[in-house]
Amino acid sequence: MHAVLIAPFTAPFMGRALGELLLLALLAGVVSVFVLIRRLGFVADTMTHTVFPGVVIGFLGGGPGGVFPGALAAAAVTAALLTLLTRSRRVTDDTAMAVLLVAMFAVGVVLVSRRASYRADLTALLFGRLLAVTPAQLAQTAAVAAVVLTTLAALAKELRLRAFDPQTAAAMGYRVWLLDLTLTMSIALVVVAAAQSVGTILVVALLVVPAATGRLLSDRLAVIAAVGVVATAAAGYLGLAVSYHASVTHGLRLASGGTVVLALVALYLLALLVPPARRLATRAAHRRRPPDAVA
Amino acid sequence: MPWLDVAFHRALIEAVLVGLAAGLLGVQVVLRRLAFFTMAMTHATFPGVVVAAVVGVDLYLGGAAAGVLAALAVVALSRRRGHDPSTATAVALAAGFALGVVLLSAQRGFTKDLTAYLVGSILTVTTEDLAVAAAVTAAVALSLALAGRVLAYTAFDRDGARAAGYRTGAVDLGVLLLICAVVVTAVPAAGTILTLALVVAPAGAARLWTDRIGTMTAAAAGIAVTSTTGGLLLSRGLDVAAGAAISLTATGCFAVSMLVGRRDSLLTRWRARRPAGTARPDAGRFPEGG
Repeated sequence: MHAVLIAPFTAPFMGRALGELLLLALLAGVVSVFVLIRRLGFVADTMTHTVFPGVVIGFLGGGPGGVFPGALAAAAVTAALLTLLTRSRRVTDDTAMAVLLVAMFAVGVVLVSRRASYRADLTALLFGRLLAVTPAQLAQTAAVAAVVLTTLAALAKELRLRAFDPQTAAAMGYRVWLLDLTLTMSIALVVVAAAQSVGTILVVALLVVPAATGRLLSDRLAVIAAVGVVATAAAGYLGLAVSYHASVTHGLRLASGGTVVLALVALYLLALLVPPARRLATRAAHRRRPPDAVA
Repeated sequence: MPWLDVAFHRALIEAVLVGLAAGLLGVQVVLRRLAFFTMAMTHATFPGVVVAAVVGVDLYLGGAAAGVLAALAVVALSRRRGHDPSTATAVALAAGFALGVVLLSAQRGFTKDLTAYLVGSILTVTTEDLAVAAAVTAAVALSLALAGRVLAYTAFDRDGARAAGYRTGAVDLGVLLLICAVVVTAVPAAGTILTLALVVAPAGAARLWTDRIGTMTAAAAGIAVTSTTGGLLLSRGLDVAAGAAISLTATGCFAVSMLVGRRDSLLTRWRARRPAGTARPDAGRFPEGG
């Protein structure tokens, strides 16, 4: 048992990978709740692609250390361009996002394609190197998590109001565009933090699936967030363990980032099976209640 | 045909065919706000292609099977509590793509195949690829010609169309399957990202020039074909990835349309904002040189 569940993580690189995933679980589990209630699935996906040219430029300019600032700059450009592009009535939000996504991603590909080590670089940048996470990257992720979670905690009430009743939020004097920008930048920060480890493309799973899993089990935002964090942490652990054993014991190479995402999807599918039983339980509870309590 | 033996000539024909199919269908995608669904399709067909390559089945069949499964999953998940279409689409996208990546990583040549999938390799298309592309393009054109009226009706007024006796669910499913077919055809040659560019950008650009769906569809097809062939020539001249060059040409057309298009572009809005009396700088000026 020990050999299967704990031994893999005694290797320093595996321990760091798990640490990174646990931090990301906490971060993404919470942010994904806002992605869910604001229906920003496509925004999250767009962000994962538009950050790519920033990653490339940062990498070409300053090596691995340049990736973080480069990605951050690209995320800021994306947020600004998205606001600008969606002002036309004729260009719907999804069209604007799709065009921005392809254009910026293509710029990244063009930049990479001029390098000799084109393919290896592209793969590393898109799919991350989960097993090569450095202590510096861990510290970076922790800092990002602290900033984003503090911001979201401070603005939770306003963001919720904005999500469920934007007109009231505007009437009460909240600056809706500023709340939107805050959330978009939070999503961008998750993408930036996860870009080097999980890779830009698989981040979209971390931004959507956790809350989707929680939503299957509960109506309450706090519970959804908690389920999302726990599910993502469990998926991180399971995915790493599976890809480690597949490689060491069976000689089968499984991409670690992809395996983690598949584990998360598996947990989501499990949650899909839960509702029928749960609904029955709720119905039974309703029946037990005295009639006057049902308002 | 000796002319077809040259790889670049085959690439040119493929570019024209894929551009036509994507441009024609793009108007439906843009009007029905299915851009994210198209994006999800490009990623979710990936595991099907990998499995087909491993098992030795036709790659198009594998991609199509995975695409149909993913489309059904999106429709089914959208009905779960608290799941709007964008969440369901994102889950399908993430699940499909991760499955493809993991399956592929177990094979040899991971990096090379993956890059080809993402960016496409239009210069390696075969005569069989051209035949498939021609068939799908013909199917898209035929569907649009036969069902154009119904498609427009259901896109703009679902309830009205349903009340008039049209089966909107069947029409929706038909559109999703057509998107799936175009994606499966275009991705091997053009890559995932370029496919999205070709479907959305030309149609989005055409919408900034006209209100008529027929004209819009023709314009979108024209812009798409111009982008694919122009981008291909550019990529040969500048030695950059063909898929990226074509994507940038298509999105460039969109950007130009945003600036100077005849309908709701920045230029028309800037003109509309100026007071009526000063609308034309030369209005009321005396004829010169008289």
